[in-house]
Amino acid sequence: MTDYELDALGPVDFLVVEFPPGEANFRGEIAQELVNLAEAGTIRVIDAIVLVKDEAGVVDAMELSDAGDLGGLVEIESQLAELLAADDVEHLAAAMQPGSVAGVLVYENLWAAPFAAAARSAGGQLIAGGRIPIQAIIASIEADAALETTGA
Amino acid sequence: MPLRAARIGRVGVVGAPVARAAVVGAAIRPGPAPVAKAAVVGAAITPGRRRRI
Repeated sequence: MTDYELDALGPVDFLVVEFPPGEANFRGEIAQELVNLAEAGTIRVIDAIVLVKDEAGVVDAMELSDAGDLGGLVEIESQLAELLAADDVEHLAAAMQPGSVAGVLVYENLWAAPFAAAARSAGGQLIAGGRIPIQAIIASIEADAALETTGA
Repeated sequence: MPLRAARIGRVGVVGAPVARAAVVGAAIRPGPAPVAKAAVVGAAITPGRRRRI
């Protein structure tokens, strides 16, 4: 990869989406939304694997291509970069409950790449970032509401 | 089915065990008025809302 390509690389994130026992209800919506995001140029899917954790906590990992009918994900699967290593499986599965299945997604935030490149070009450097939990937003708003109610 | 051989022996990119995040759905479902709670979250990210300092 050239320096230019590295400079234009957007932030890369991962997600682990768990399906607790008996709650998986796959109807194709997830695959379709993923295809929509990729086709819109919002993200580029870099890697995807499926993890299965049994009741004893033993983890099995499989490639997306081995997970059954891919439907609309066929093209995305064909372009995966397989960034995750076998060593990553246990780290990722640490968040899973026993008896669950999880999909792991690694993706580049294409939407952020031009902004990040422009910020670097202007001399800026990313020094912090993160996600604000919905729970924290709820707590903040509820605290605001309580203040308005009490007038404190 | 096992992972592809190319993944074996490669240096991992996830440096440490991943901590389980709080489940978002659980934050919205409980309580007497779950719809209102969802609306609260919506209000928090409504354009034009201003912070009070």
